[in-house]
Order: sequence, then structure tokens, then C-alpha cells
Amino acid sequence: MRGRLMFALVALVATRPAFAGDPTHPPSAPASPASPSPAPTPPAPTPAGPAPADSAPTEPSPLPEPGVEMGPDDGPASGEPEPTPPDDPDAPLHEDNEFGPVILIEEIDVTGNTATRTEIIRRALPIAAGEVLHSSDKRLREARFKVLALGFFRDVTLAIRKGSVRGQVIVEVHVVERGTLVLNRLWFGTTTLSPWWLGTDLGERNLLGLGIAVGGGFIYARQTADAAGARDQYAGELRLSIPSVRGTEWGVGGAATLVHGSEPFRVSGAPGDASAKTQRAFPYRRLGARLGATYDVSALTQLSMGVRAEAIDTTLPVAPARVLPDGRVVAVDLHLDPGQSRVVTASLSFDRDTRPDPILPHAGGHLLVSAELGNALLGSSYDYATFFGSYEHYWPLRGEHHAIAVKLAGGVVIGSAPRFDRIYIADVDRMLTPRALGLVLSTAAPLAILGTRADKPSYGDLGGSATVEYAVRLFRGSGKRRVYGGDAFAGVGLWGLAETADLRARDTGLAASLPIDLYADAGLRLDTDIGTFELTIANALGRLR
Amino acid sequence: MRAAIVAATLLAIAATAYAEDERPEIQRMRFVESGDDLQLSTLPPGGIGKLFDTTAYEALSTGIPSTVVIRIQITPQDSDEPVAEQLIQRSVVYDVWDEIYTLRLDQPGGRKTIKVKYRAEALKWLTAIDDLPVARLAVLPINQVFVLKMVVELNPVSKETLAEVRRWLSQGNGGGLDRGGAFFGSFVSVFYNPKIADADRVLRIRSQPFYRPTP
Repeated sequence: MRGRLMFALVALVATRPAFAGDPTHPPSAPASPASPSPAPTPPAPTPAGPAPADSAPTEPSPLPEPGVEMGPDDGPASGEPEPTPPDDPDAPLHEDNEFGPVILIEEIDVTGNTATRTEIIRRALPIAAGEVLHSSDKRLREARFKVLALGFFRDVTLAIRKGSVRGQVIVEVHVVERGTLVLNRLWFGTTTLSPWWLGTDLGERNLLGLGIAVGGGFIYARQTADAAGARDQYAGELRLSIPSVRGTEWGVGGAATLVHGSEPFRVSGAPGDASAKTQRAFPYRRLGARLGATYDVSALTQLSMGVRAEAIDTTLPVAPARVLPDGRVVAVDLHLDPGQSRVVTASLSFDRDTRPDPILPHAGGHLLVSAELGNALLGSSYDYATFFGSYEHYWPLRGEHHAIAVKLAGGVVIGSAPRFDRIYIADVDRMLTPRALGLVLSTAAPLAILGTRADKPSYGDLGGSATVEYAVRLFRGSGKRRVYGGDAFAGVGLWGLAETADLRARDTGLAASLPIDLYADAGLRLDTDIGTFELTIANALGRLR
Repeated sequence: MRAAIVAATLLAIAATAYAEDERPEIQRMRFVESGDDLQLSTLPPGGIGKLFDTTAYEALSTGIPSTVVIRIQITPQDSDEPVAEQLIQRSVVYDVWDEIYTLRLDQPGGRKTIKVKYRAEALKWLTAIDDLPVARLAVLPINQVFVLKMVVELNPVSKETLAEVRRWLSQGNGGGLDRGGAFFGSFVSVFYNPKIADADRVLRIRSQPFYRPTP
């Protein structure tokens, strides 16, 4: 077994999937108004076989039993309900045609918070003192979720009580706080290059009750001595962000990162030979910081902008080269300036996510595009630009019990981008070990399934993937046993990664030169109270090769 | 070996959860042909009253609206393809000054608004299913066996709200070095998993098989 872990574990942020449709239109079938009556009737016997539908007119029907204790204000039914006159056309109705009394919010009273500042909660509410609205207003219905969305509370309840003047009310918001220290990630695994690695990422989402999120991660990776020049790697990162600055749509954040790495590159061997002896490594150190701002264009759409400054210190081989199987020696471009260099960039990204459930998605879509520019004008040693984008869309089938998804992702790097900003092969082939905090942990070659180009690059400036995935809902639960849902899924896709120069000239047939291949994945996703477990073929391969 | 144990444990949890939460309750119901319609009534001790526990019942008096959504499907006994569907929404809000409950009922026959004085009355209006037209008789062939499936939700949350809440919760890593994963990977790996239910409570009910006898 070599101590290798035989399963993969991925934990995720999750919210409940949408279960109900949005019933915005009343049914239009013939009417038969229900008439409550106070007297329940005894249960009817249940026949063994199918029961015929009665053809006689209906008799007075029994009432469902409420199954609740009656409160002190409960009395007997007051006879026939009082019909209500048509709604006042001048009433300030909103888009979903609210009803009920019009109220003036005199005050919002927040209770139950001991660590979180009251102002943080008030800012999250979609209502404010002085507003006039129907008591069925959508904002009142959704206020609970706006506060829950802060992530600081286990439960939130709202209630209305009389204010000082008739028509005025006091809205009471009671919160139950929860722990906000969170485990974001676990890194672990074993490969030929790295006998073991271990790391974690922790965060505190509500520092001192101020609504400020801080976090950090650290990973240590043991390197094999078989790769010449390899050394143990470690990386750390510290983050701070304010998702909403003083309740506005603007947020700010920053991160500082240190990477003490050892970057492998192939110096010999056949394309499929991933042994460490075919690799050589060079040491590097990266010390950088990111600063950014976000703007919520809408509830589901966000614009981000940021700047990044990074110092790279590396000792490169004098003349890196690779001996090909036929004996030829070719130069290897490591895409880094020797010694010290700087990366300074400005970036812009756009994110729109309409998936009601990102963990077990069966509907909606997610679009993410980003551009980053590094230039000497900014003080960078590298002049380049990167453009990345991804889009995935889910179509529900069979009443959302099944779903089919199309996922597209790709990017292009223009100019002399540093090695670490280029597209890494595990970015596009999910069956390989992904980078963790920037560290390369495996030199495994991708599986050659299509028989296309055998010697695919580890880094490229043009890459992407296209996937079709089919998911089947296994179950959805209420979480009473800390399990919320599970899906089985299977997907297949094409991935490709190339150096632009390789595309301009080829010395083999077209099929044998295409830098694309197939990947497939299948497994089980479980959404639980402590995270989402992903047991998939690709995830396991990514931790073991 | 370890993988097998973990997988077996997770699947066992999943299977238990499924058994607990997904299995519909079988209730005996009454079906009546009336005019061109098939009408439905629930029978004691069934019905959807158990949707309201003590907390939900008391919440009717908080002044914050409560909503019950009932989705009904009629399918052949050996099929999941519905021949008839019905969507019903009932909402109530308490007026703290006039101390009355205003109900908005959207169901076959259109929308109507009523006012009642007592909380128990409001509950009855929210949960009563009596002579409710659920299908045109024309879609129910004589002597074919059908079942009625009902999903009842208390205060369901719209998909848009869930997406919005989820997006807020998934933010916060602040942009580190794992940029590639954000574009190419399927997931952000986070253990933090605050659950916001898609409804305060859900009932899944299935009727006994029924058929239209030959006239």
C-alpha cells in the first residue's frame, strides 16, 4: 500500500439546493374553495387494493389535524371568514403583489449578538427604520437569509411587535451566534516526486465581531532525492478581506504569500516516464502580495479588480536542456529570469453565478472571466497578459433528479509570462495532481488515451478543457443526520495544453501532434454538515501519481 | 481497505438519510369525481397539518409572513410521468395592531384574500385540503390505476435567494495563489458548510392507488 491514501476528500462550502419551484402563478383549474370545519372525523379504513374514485358529490370534508399545541390566544373558529375587499389600488405594492397591513418600521431591535457588532447585522438587513411596506413584503421574508448569509449565525429569527404609534412596528431580530473559525482546505497525498505533503488552510470569518475575514494556509512537501536539485518545499499565505465595506456593495481584500519551492523540469526519458530520475529541479523563492476590491453589481454578479506585486528569487541552471529519446539535446525554456525579478500586475475579473447549489448543482450557470496585465510600466520584469475564462451550465432533467452539465474553461497567455503564471497541465487535466499554494507536487505524465501527441508540455500558454457531465440525485435530506444530499456523477471531456510555438510547426501527422487528450471522471459527492466529500477517480489519481 | 471502510460508512449514512428524509408518507385520501374534475380531500389522521410543529405554529403570530406551497402530481402507478399537476400557495401574515390574520390563497379558482381572528383558524386555512380540484377527468382514463404525489413545503426559499446566500458564503478566501483552480477546477474546497434549508419543513406524501371505475 506504501501508505497511500485510497480515497480523496474534498470539503466545500455549500448551501441547500433549491427544492421548490418558484410558484409565481396561481393555478387556473376550476375552483372548489376549501371550507374549514372544526370537527375532525375518524380515520377511514385502508383497502388493500386500489380504491375507486367516488363518483358522488363530495360530502363535507374533515380537517387536517394541526399537530400543535394551542397557544393562549387560540380560540374557537370564529365562524365564516371575513371576506376582504379588493386590494387598495393605491397601496404601495411591490413586484410580487404583497398583501396584509401597511406598516412603518419605527425601529429595528437586534438581540442575541455578543461577539458580532449590531451595526454589522443592521447593514445586512434589506430593511431600515423609517421604511413603509406591507407586512408580507419580500424584504421582510428574506431578511432572515440576508443575516444568515453573513455566516456568523446558527439561526436568525424575526418578529414584529407594536410600535409607539398605531401602524408603526418594531422589528425584532434575534440571532444565535456560531463559531466562525473554519477549516478551508486540507492538502495531503503522495507522489513519486513528493513522498508526502501535508497542509491546511484555516480562516476566521468574523474577526473580533467586525465582519472582517482573516485566514491563512501552510503546506509542507517532502521532496525525493532522486530528482537532482530538488529540495523540500513549503508555502504559506495570509489573507484578510472585508466582504462589504460599511454595508456597501464594495469589498476589499488582500493576501501575502511566501513560497519556498523547488520546480522540476524534465531532462531525459521517454514522454511517459514520470520517474524522478528523469527530472531536475531548481530552487526558487516567491514573496508577494495582492490587494483587491470587489463590487457587487447585483446579488449574483460581482466585479473584481486588483494589483499584485511579487519578488522572485531563483537560481537557474546555466543551460537547461533535455536529452530526447533519440539522443538529440534540446534547450528548455524555464520562463523565468535568473536571479531576482519582479512581477507586478493589474487585473480585472467578472463573476456571475446563478447556481442555487454550487455543491450538488442541478440548475443555473457560472461564468467567470479574468484578465491580468503585467508590464514594465508597472515595474514588472515580465511583459505579458493572461486571459482566463470558464463557463458551466446545468440543465435539470426528470424534475431535477438528474442534470446534465457542460463545462468549458480555457485561457491564453500572451507575452513573456513568468513560469508560475502560465497554464499548468493539472489546471486542465483533472486526473493530475493540482498545485497547492503554487507548489508543484507531481511530475506524473497525463494518461495517453487518444494516442495524440505523447510529449505534452507541463506548462503552456494556450489551454483549456471541455466537459460533459451527467449527475443523478441519490438523495436529499433535511440534515437531521448531518447529511444533506448526495449525487453520483460521471463526466468525460477533452483537455488541451500547448506552447504557441509548438502549434506553428509540426514534424508529425496532425492527429499525432495535437496537444489534446481525453479525461474522464466518475464518483460520488456527499453534502454533509462538515463539508462535502468527493469520492472520485480523478481526485484519487491526483493524490497518488 | 481504509477507502472501503470510508466509502461504506458514507454510503451507509447516505442510505439512512435517504430512508429518513426521502421516503414519502403513504396516506389514504379521498378522490371524488365532480363535474369535469377530480377532487381531492385528505382524511384524518393524514393531511398536512404536521407541517407545523410548535415553533412554526407560534411563528404565525410574529408578524412575519409564513407560506405553504403544495405541489401535487398525479402519475400512473407504474410511472413517474405526471398526467396532471397542481401548484398551490397559501400565505398568512399577522397584523399586530388589529390582531387579525390575513391569508392569501392562490389555488384552483384563482386568488383570494381572507381574514380570520384566531391563529388556529389561520392554520386550518393553510393546511386544509378539501374537495380540491387536482385534475381534469379527461386525463384520467377509466380503470387505469394512478397515485397522487404531494410535496408540501413551509416557507420555501427561492432559488435566487439561495444562490445569493450561497455566493456570499463562498466568498472570503481573498485570492491566493490557487488562481488556476478557480478557473479550471470544479470546486473550491472548504469545510465551512453552514446549511440554509430550502424550506423550513418539507412533507412528502403519496396517496393510495386509485382508479376511475366504469360508470
